[in-house]
Amino acid sequence: MTPFLPAEWLPLIFAGLMAASILAYVVLDGFDLGVGILLPRVAEEADRDRMIAAIGPFWDANETWLVLGVGLLLVAFPVAHGIVLTELYLPVAVMLIALTFRGVAFEFRAKAADLADKRRWDMAFFGGSLMAALSQGWMLGRYVLGFDPSLAAQGFAAMSAVGLAIAYVFIGAAWLVWRTEGALQERAIGWARKAIWPMGLGILLVSAVTPLVSERIFHRWFDFPAMLALAPLPLATAALLFGMAALLRHMPLPNDALRRVPFWGAVGLFCLFFAGLAWSFFPYVVPERLTIWQAASAPESLTIILIGALFVLPVILAYTVVAWRVFGGKAKALSYY
Amino acid sequence: MDPILLARIQFAANISFHILFPTITIALGWVLLFFKLRFNATRDEKWMDAYRFWVKVFALSFAMGVVSGITMSFQFGTNWPGFMERVGNIAGPLLAYEVLTAFFLEATFVAIMLFGLNRVPNWLHTLATFLVAFGTTMSAFWILVLNSWIHTPAGFELRDGVAHATDWLAIIFNPSMPYRLSHMLAASGLTVAFLLAGFSAWRWLRGDRAPGVQAALRTGVVMAAVLAPTQLLLGDLHGLNTLEHQPAKVAAMEGNWRTQGNVPLLLFAIPDEAARENRFEIGIPSGASLILRHSADGVVPGLDDFIGEHPPVAPVFYAFRLMVGTGMLMIGFGLLGAWFLWRRGELPRLMLWGFTAMTFAGWVATLAGWYVTEIGRQPWLVHGVLTTAEAAGPVPAANIAATLTMYLLLYALLLAAYVATLYRLAARGRMLPEAAPAARVPAE
Repeated sequence: MTPFLPAEWLPLIFAGLMAASILAYVVLDGFDLGVGILLPRVAEEADRDRMIAAIGPFWDANETWLVLGVGLLLVAFPVAHGIVLTELYLPVAVMLIALTFRGVAFEFRAKAADLADKRRWDMAFFGGSLMAALSQGWMLGRYVLGFDPSLAAQGFAAMSAVGLAIAYVFIGAAWLVWRTEGALQERAIGWARKAIWPMGLGILLVSAVTPLVSERIFHRWFDFPAMLALAPLPLATAALLFGMAALLRHMPLPNDALRRVPFWGAVGLFCLFFAGLAWSFFPYVVPERLTIWQAASAPESLTIILIGALFVLPVILAYTVVAWRVFGGKAKALSYY
Repeated sequence: MDPILLARIQFAANISFHILFPTITIALGWVLLFFKLRFNATRDEKWMDAYRFWVKVFALSFAMGVVSGITMSFQFGTNWPGFMERVGNIAGPLLAYEVLTAFFLEATFVAIMLFGLNRVPNWLHTLATFLVAFGTTMSAFWILVLNSWIHTPAGFELRDGVAHATDWLAIIFNPSMPYRLSHMLAASGLTVAFLLAGFSAWRWLRGDRAPGVQAALRTGVVMAAVLAPTQLLLGDLHGLNTLEHQPAKVAAMEGNWRTQGNVPLLLFAIPDEAARENRFEIGIPSGASLILRHSADGVVPGLDDFIGEHPPVAPVFYAFRLMVGTGMLMIGFGLLGAWFLWRRGELPRLMLWGFTAMTFAGWVATLAGWYVTEIGRQPWLVHGVLTTAEAAGPVPAANIAATLTMYLLLYALLLAAYVATLYRLAARGRMLPEAAPAARVPAE
């Protein structure tokens, strides 16, 4: 197979696809995990069932973006995959076990023998969601500092872990604002109000530390005129944070107006933050060690994947839209028939 | 402990746990489609009853398969980085195609299949059921292409020790792929046949004789009667294919040490690798020669031709007997069960107990079969190209041991919960509704 593109374009395209998959995962499973972390906040069985029902039809497809993201890392940048996953061996193992508990708890809680059994699986659901969020945040912190083994770097990873978990709580609460109503929706608005500023602090923290990691990243952000061109990124982030905080103070609005806005605002925040990280680290796939061109696999193999992806990804997006429409609106009881 | 052995045990533990669930969902998806189509055609509620019960089994099995599959997608890289470095150009696209053409399809439409019956038109629900079954089968197709390729690699060339694809059709349709794929699909069908028959027989014995239970029982027994003998034929063809491409594996399966004619078919023996001979042999004279060469004095390759390059003999030898033995029981149960259904319209009590005991027979045979083929592949990871030792990673043994312990505890817990839940669902039958009723609210 002869590549139909210049070989140096392929790593770029695959870095873009991989980044898009990881971003899709963080946004989509982010709200699932956030709802999982919030689950023990409500005591009412019916409310818990409704929270689960709000994410039940989505979590599986959402999690598939993680498989695609790590799969693209594995197939397009195998050397980087080796370095990253060896460095992150233990947090990855913790995340996988956590995701396992979270995933099976959906089914086991629905088929539980009695309330006590159901509550045990609820705990597994909560614990799995929380540990998955924390381990992903930890990995983010470790990655940003280039796997620096120092104690300070570990401390930063710990803060990043808490920060990402809070961000997931926010987007999870925002999802519930959209997908539930009544008292549960009011509680979700309250959770979102509480989570928004700690999340803002987390964004600020990681954004402030990243330029200090290397001179290269520092110059990339603070050299003139790049600084001017980049100014919209932090400004838009601040505007979204303040705007959403103001909106949440007044929610719920009559006729449930603007119910989708907190969620899509959170998606916007996640995208801005991610764009900032991408700007900092590009073209490195392992920070300051390995660029996407150094790590890429053979062009003929990337080409064959790209051809498949070009045909299949639009189809995936199309049926994802179908599923979102089928399960649109407020959460209904999930009955198997 | 040796980190390579630990990495192998960890990978084997995970993949063994994982394969239990796709083995069920691949064929159960098609069975659910069958129930749904029967209902659409006859409007007989018994088919929908069967659908409603078995779709729950599907949902639980699917979730177990998804979460353990995600773990696997990471372990390819964490446990065998050398695998991706050396043959990633082949394995990568195959895995990517699995994600793109199967995972998203299954994951999206399973939601409509499970929760959509009241939300979407009936045709869309039937279509979703089909797409889920199709997706699980596509997933099996791609992963078995990759698995077959590591047994019988084709369509590539080595440049500086790294495999580069030269012919994708040769890679996909590599020599063992058709045999391995059909053997595995039939294994999935048999596993589901005995699962259907086993749980339905158990419910029947407990007095739950709803028409839906009977429909599932009949479906299971007929599937077993058709598939079990078919599997014998497919397995035989697969074995002949293996003899051609991986003779050392077949020698280990037969426990045959020396290349010679008139090799007996061993029913029992204790292979002694130190002495390079068997103890306590009981066999059918010239049986292996007849099966593998179709003549009594046919020469069958022996392990002594592959000293230092053949797999550990005992596990392959025993696992092969366990698989074939279970398969023979399946043929017996399938044919006898079908005969009773045909002549008397129902199964005698003893047969019902027998099917209950055979509920998870498919798991036993499938795992045993995978152990035969994968342990039989050693010391190679990719036959003739890459050894398992070369592919292992730099992860310290302590890390692997710690995570292995966590995984083993997790899998033991989940397997117990899974089996207990299936029996509870079966005991509860259709008497009680599913989840606790949540407030019904109007759609947006």
